[in-house]
Amino acid sequence: MDILYLLIPLSVALVFFILAGLWWAIHRGQFEDIEAEGERILRND
Amino acid sequence: MTRVNVLPALSSDTRAATEALAATQAASSQGQNPEAERLQLLDTQQEWSAFSLPDKAEVGCWRSSVVFEGMHCAACAITLEDALRSVPGVVSVQISSASHRGQIVWSPARTRPSEWLQSVQRVGYKALPANDAHAHETRRQEARRMVWRLSVAALCMMQVMMYATPSYLYGPAEISAESMHLLRWASWVLSLPVLFFSCAPFFGNAWRDLRERQISMDLPVALGMGVTFAVSSLGTFEPAGPFGAEVYFDSFTMFVFFLLMGRWLEQRLRDRTAGALEAVLNRLPDSVRLRQTDGRWALISIRRLAVGDVIQVMPGEAFAGDGRVVSGRSQVDEALLTGESLPLARQTGDRVIAGSHNLSGPLEVQIEQVGAATRYAQIVSLMESAAVSKPDLALWVDRWAKPFLIFVLIASLASAVFWWPTDPAHALMVAVSVLIVTCPCALSLATPAAMLATAGALARGGVLVRKLSALQHLAGIDTFIFDKTGTLTRDAFQLSQTHTRAGVSAEQALAWASSLARHSLHPASRALWAEARAQAKTGIQGAALEALNAQQLSEQAGQGVRGQLQLPDGAWMNLRLGSSVFCDSPPFKSHHLQVSLADDLGWMATFELTEEVRPEASQVVCALKNAGFTLKVLSGDSQAAVSQVAERVGIADAQGACSPQDKLKALQQLQANGHRVAMVGDGLNDGPVLAGADVSFALGQAVPLAQSKADFVLMGSQLDMLLATVLRSRQTLRIVKQNLIWAAAYNAACVPLALLGWLPAWAAGLGMATSSLVVVLNAMRLAKSTASAVHRRSPKA
Repeated sequence: MDILYLLIPLSVALVFFILAGLWWAIHRGQFEDIEAEGERILRND
Repeated sequence: MTRVNVLPALSSDTRAATEALAATQAASSQGQNPEAERLQLLDTQQEWSAFSLPDKAEVGCWRSSVVFEGMHCAACAITLEDALRSVPGVVSVQISSASHRGQIVWSPARTRPSEWLQSVQRVGYKALPANDAHAHETRRQEARRMVWRLSVAALCMMQVMMYATPSYLYGPAEISAESMHLLRWASWVLSLPVLFFSCAPFFGNAWRDLRERQISMDLPVALGMGVTFAVSSLGTFEPAGPFGAEVYFDSFTMFVFFLLMGRWLEQRLRDRTAGALEAVLNRLPDSVRLRQTDGRWALISIRRLAVGDVIQVMPGEAFAGDGRVVSGRSQVDEALLTGESLPLARQTGDRVIAGSHNLSGPLEVQIEQVGAATRYAQIVSLMESAAVSKPDLALWVDRWAKPFLIFVLIASLASAVFWWPTDPAHALMVAVSVLIVTCPCALSLATPAAMLATAGALARGGVLVRKLSALQHLAGIDTFIFDKTGTLTRDAFQLSQTHTRAGVSAEQALAWASSLARHSLHPASRALWAEARAQAKTGIQGAALEALNAQQLSEQAGQGVRGQLQLPDGAWMNLRLGSSVFCDSPPFKSHHLQVSLADDLGWMATFELTEEVRPEASQVVCALKNAGFTLKVLSGDSQAAVSQVAERVGIADAQGACSPQDKLKALQQLQANGHRVAMVGDGLNDGPVLAGADVSFALGQAVPLAQSKADFVLMGSQLDMLLATVLRSRQTLRIVKQNLIWAAAYNAACVPLALLGWLPAWAAGLGMATSSLVVVLNAMRLAKSTASAVHRRSPKA
């Protein structure tokens, strides 16, 4: 059970890590135009 | 209408017209690429900062907002992005195929707006600088912040729930105290961002209200959040304290998430309404071709345009200001500003409005209003002020909200005191549930959300709502009073009868009269010229009519105009067109406007002109009658003329020769008999009557909007929208009532549950958010365009 002392703080750190990623995505406007990201697959380059 | 027997202010301006034509040709031959020249005007910082902001990420770069025209699909967006990226100096491009908007980041050291705008044109699209860029940007920032707050709450909520699961599933004996403590610590850490970031707006608003000694919905909510977090923190760090070891981090994060969800949806509804006129906002061109003193055309920025300037507007371009056409003939599209879907003909002397589009031919326009004085700017500001006005129902709700909130605070305190002896922690959580569940958000959202959605939808159909509360009054209307002149009839005249001397046919007389009338702006002359053209179209003499063009025109003020006409056989004829005295006309007994024509032999013909009834008037009257409304005409015109028009449109009750006082008296009489009256007028002459009526409509075309006192303005001057507006207002009121009943019932049901301690805090949060959500979604049903309502108009609606 001692591993919990590592895993639980790690899961907290993971949440903050995911939040950081989410911050980056929101502030790059990725959720403002959902379709555009999907349409990128049609691009030539 | 008083009888008019004179024909003043005839003018001939053929000289100006030919001059303008020559200048047009000069303009088109002078620059090889006028479009490029036009775009280069944007190449100063002063100009581009109107649609650009300094970019935050790329130092020294600008971020410009652009609206694209001609874009249809995702492939278009890709083509445009490729074209823009190929321009050296363009750092990044983002184009949304859904909104047809794009953001372009570019470096002023390496490129200019004109360069990348031209690259868009080379691939066959059109890009317009977005003049509402700043407002749009603010809205976008707010939306982003909201989504970010919501995301933080959502993610933390999920994880806190994970940490809480063991305590729900296993008894204290099955988990070691250390593990439990660790889980609580982790929950506490993840609740911190929710408390300090996601809840910040609630705490901010509550603090502001406390300082101003006000009470609002955010106060109980913030109090509930604060108490929950404090109790749970104590439970984590002082398990032996008075509140025991119980923690509520899961409830706390969950109701914050639900609350934010409701706020987020509410914000989206508001943005949609605010964006309803967004397309209109980008209509003004950024540069215009101005006629200079030497007659040449020069491109200038719209910000330097002044009243009195003459500008040239090519087909496909938008008018930069309100003005009058001085030469040219074209059709214009005013659909977005007036709701009039058909192209409208415009020729010399006609008015054009800023933001509408020129469709077919080049026009020269003398500017009469620029900037904030234009109809366009007035429409925009009217929409904005209506959006912040509070409807009566909402004021009523707000008045009741305050005592209700005080009751909530007292009730939660009482419940805490009541439960305290048994279990202090439970007592506090009951109090929190009461605080959260009773938040009257739904109650105060019910009215404005529905009315704003309706106002947005009506604006797209060409009806401006000046006061939201008028929607509420309109729903109860049972009587319509119409003014005659300019309301049931147009300002224009129609030829009704022609008297001629022996040997002259009516058609011949009209053709000769039109040779003079075609040069005049007087309404009577224009009616004659229009009638002559209409007859020529059906007859054989189209070309012959064009050839009949009087020369040597001279006018006698207040009397009429004289001129010489060369007949096909080469002989010259002296013609006079004007009052009966001017033309020595014999008297004809009639209450219509008369215009006479005379030649070298004396009096030749007299034309009787009647007012032209609006083509849609009788249909609208019929629809309103079928819908059960009482209709009445009140006019200052003679009884005979009023009766005649009323009969033609199908209204039996017509009263003529009314002074404004008489009208007001008749109106008050109706109101005293228990009728609720809507007045439809031109919005200017009937000031006191409009103010006295329960609801007033004005036909927007004739009157400066700012001076109009009416509650509703029919932008296209079409009566069609009357019934649709009434029906829509009834629907709105129905939805408002549904919303209010729902919100009140929700509160009535949940408060006792919470007081009894049967409602945990998370369920309170869920219930509160759901009630707001239901209200907002119900209101969104009204945001649909009114166009369908017009076409589906059933007689028995």
